[in-house]
Amino acid sequence: MTLGPPLLLAFMALAISIAAGFRLPRTWLALTVTGTVVGLVAALRVLLGGGNWEWQSGFLLGGEPLHLRLDGLSAMFLMLVSVVGGTGAVYSREYWSDHHNPASAPRGRAWWSALLICMGLVLTVSNGLHFLIAWELFAICGYFLITLDRERSGVRAAGWLYLAASHAGTMCLFAFFATLASRTGSWELGPMREHAELAPLFWLALFGFGVKAGFFPLHIWLPSAHANAPSHVSAIMSGVAIKMGIYGIVRFSGWLPVPPAAGWVVIGLGALSALLGIAFAFAQNDFKRLLAYCSVENIGVILIGIGGALLAVTHGDAVWGRLALAGALLHVWNHGAFKALLFFGAGSVLHVTGTREMSRLGGLWHRMPWTAGLFVLGSIAVAGLPPLNGFVSEWLIYLGLFDAVTSKGPSAWAAMPVAIMLAMAGAMAMASFAKAGAMIFLGAPRTQAAAHAHECGNWMRGPMLALAGVCVAIGLAPILFWPAVSRAVGAWHPAWAPAEAPAPLVTLGSVHVALVILVLAAAAWLWRKAQANGLRRGLTWDCGYATPAVRMQYTSASFAGIASGWFRWILQPERKMRRPRGHFPAEAIRLERIPETVLERIIGPFSAVIMQVSTAVRRLQHGRVQFYILYVVAGLIALGVLVLLGGAQ
Amino acid sequence: MILILNLILRLALWLLLAPLLPGIINKVKAWVAGRRGPPVLQLYYDLAKLWRKGVVLSTLASPGFIAGPAVAWVALTGAAMLMPLGPAGSALSFRGDVLLLIYLLALARFCTAWAAMETGSAFEGMGAAREVSYAVLAEAAIVAAVLSLSVQTGSVSLVTMLSPSAGAGAVLLAAGLFTVLLAENCRVPFDDPNTHLELTMIHEVMVLDHSGPPLAAILHGASVKLLLFAVLLIQAVLPMGELSPLAAAGALAAGVLGVTVSVGLVESLLARLAFRRVPLLLTTAFLLCLFALLVAWKGGAK
Repeated sequence: MTLGPPLLLAFMALAISIAAGFRLPRTWLALTVTGTVVGLVAALRVLLGGGNWEWQSGFLLGGEPLHLRLDGLSAMFLMLVSVVGGTGAVYSREYWSDHHNPASAPRGRAWWSALLICMGLVLTVSNGLHFLIAWELFAICGYFLITLDRERSGVRAAGWLYLAASHAGTMCLFAFFATLASRTGSWELGPMREHAELAPLFWLALFGFGVKAGFFPLHIWLPSAHANAPSHVSAIMSGVAIKMGIYGIVRFSGWLPVPPAAGWVVIGLGALSALLGIAFAFAQNDFKRLLAYCSVENIGVILIGIGGALLAVTHGDAVWGRLALAGALLHVWNHGAFKALLFFGAGSVLHVTGTREMSRLGGLWHRMPWTAGLFVLGSIAVAGLPPLNGFVSEWLIYLGLFDAVTSKGPSAWAAMPVAIMLAMAGAMAMASFAKAGAMIFLGAPRTQAAAHAHECGNWMRGPMLALAGVCVAIGLAPILFWPAVSRAVGAWHPAWAPAEAPAPLVTLGSVHVALVILVLAAAAWLWRKAQANGLRRGLTWDCGYATPAVRMQYTSASFAGIASGWFRWILQPERKMRRPRGHFPAEAIRLERIPETVLERIIGPFSAVIMQVSTAVRRLQHGRVQFYILYVVAGLIALGVLVLLGGAQ
Repeated sequence: MILILNLILRLALWLLLAPLLPGIINKVKAWVAGRRGPPVLQLYYDLAKLWRKGVVLSTLASPGFIAGPAVAWVALTGAAMLMPLGPAGSALSFRGDVLLLIYLLALARFCTAWAAMETGSAFEGMGAAREVSYAVLAEAAIVAAVLSLSVQTGSVSLVTMLSPSAGAGAVLLAAGLFTVLLAENCRVPFDDPNTHLELTMIHEVMVLDHSGPPLAAILHGASVKLLLFAVLLIQAVLPMGELSPLAAAGALAAGVLGVTVSVGLVESLLARLAFRRVPLLLTTAFLLCLFALLVAWKGGAK
């Protein structure tokens, strides 16, 4: 195939842009956008043209020949990298400009291009050793991007946590690839479903890639990293980087045989992540943390689809697995688009107000109508509501699950509870984004910063509009995207390759179009009718307050009170409260913080114990030679006793 | 041509008949209390009056305050159009339409909650918070009910799912769906549509600041939603597909009337629950639907 030159062009453009990033921001932007557009075109050609691209050279890297491959699955993820990478680069021009961040902006540009190259390499290399190298470089680029604003201690802590968690995962991947190489006798990767003895390796891959994907108990690094990073970095971390973990899981569950329990575990983890991720999201008061936890939920939704596909394969190759996997892969795109859009929107708000606390915002729609409108669009998409893209992919996953139930096989026992949990997660996602959007954009401004906000510029608005366009396009014409998805499904499981579109996809698209037209018509009609009847502006009635104060408004914590109460067992909110006392109460406080339960209640204490033990053991090492000789003598005597006892037997 | 005529007739049926239900409920309540009560057509008069009235808009509200009710109304009407009507079948039926219906209801909820938050009023925030939170449990119950119908019939499209009876689990399913109907439509014991104590309400408190045509859209949408749930409940429980067309139409009409009267009776005989009990009752509804699902599973295995 002739994909070599465009991919080389994309690689070269991005590689040069690393150097250009330091001094020449315009050149950097031009090169990065060129690189991503060319990458996008190459990925599209694989997805629509049919053939895979493969390139093998005699060039040895680390003693292994370079082998690149782009098939339907990796092309699908490469498209996501290109779209978010390109829009994020444009967005960062205004958001993280040289003017505001003279020290870190050049660094940020260089690491951005490096991150895109590394992700591209992870997706294309076809050799275990090279995969590990690319994976490690990709993780490190992520670290430097997260810690761009390293003067703040919260950012440094988040960066360290990310790096530590990332390496825990990479350690498992080392074990995974090394064992794979030793069992098969080669570092080459490719389909090897016939080696049934490789099945247990799936657990190593699930853990190793799962840390990066951030599904429920392994998500500990994700909230703080996504909340503290600059917003364009949060967008690519949340929209794309965690999908690399999903890519790993999908890739190696497709190429290698999987243990029979894999489907059950993956679908279970998915349902758990979906429900608990969104429960944490709903309780947050920091809007970027809310978005980060919502990514945990969406990774859960994706895993539900993948788990369904694995179950279908292990239980007689049922066709419904195809729908579940297609839904999961489409959700990878969808989540990438709407989550990047929402993080860009969050970045615009943060940029002008300087706070991530929802309870310090409010009323921003008036000054930021574009951001508000686009944030609402993203909210409708992320909540999985028709007529946008989030609903299409969730609908495909639901269809897969319902077909599993009606087929009445053993997988129905997984599909029934998971469908119910998915519905609950969907309802909570709707609640979370009703809360986030309303707290940030509606009502009256709660602080001066919010009152003096202003709209973001064109460089930030353009990328948001582009991503919103993707959300609308997939929602209104899902059938156009089906060939690409079906090609990726075929790459995962060749038996499902000739996947004709499920018939209702066309109907769903037309219903969505009709819905949009009717909604626009109804809104316009109601607006004109209201104006014709006479429109008067007045104070919010609010049951008769003459002068409603800003602080009387409902807050984010009170909005989430009911539902987060149901999850108190896992959320474990920390409360500080001083009730008003006496006839002339002076001061009353109520503070609430939602800790990251897994990190602070489980991993934190566990690490503390390790630290204590290590500190205790360290007392043995004090630098006095006499005692060291005593250790040696004691050791020798112990060995002698051991030998004597052993000899006696 | 026939399709368009079909659509228009259906739309007219849904839009014109829906406001009748709240009137019937109020008449039943009045009858039980020994009052004469407002006329059955009261909501029609109210809607006509509101439609002609002017609008007072909060100084804080964005255009979303008017767009919200419009989107919610379209979503509810769209959901109603997906619902098959006994012998007339469905105007548009495809695999997975039931999921679209559930999510259209969710879209309507999002828009109503959004419009409520526009005003920055604490009362309306309270109502919106309650609405979206209780929806989590209600949605779980609905999906469990849909799963049980799906297991029963081996299908994922409404027309086939609703044509036989719910089988052995019909009583469980009816009880579960009736409870969800009460919760989703803000009736006693979850909510009291007649109270004027804003602190205790869900739905009514969300619309405190609406007036004129947008309020008319909200009230009419709410009545369509009530009719939708009544039609769903009756068709899920009765074997619509096995009756002759005339009998099916009669059964549907009688069933909807029966459900409406029972809502009125429940409202007359029960007091509103304390708020902390609401999740408990919704969980009960969910469990009822879950048991219906298990019964359907067992029944099909024979």
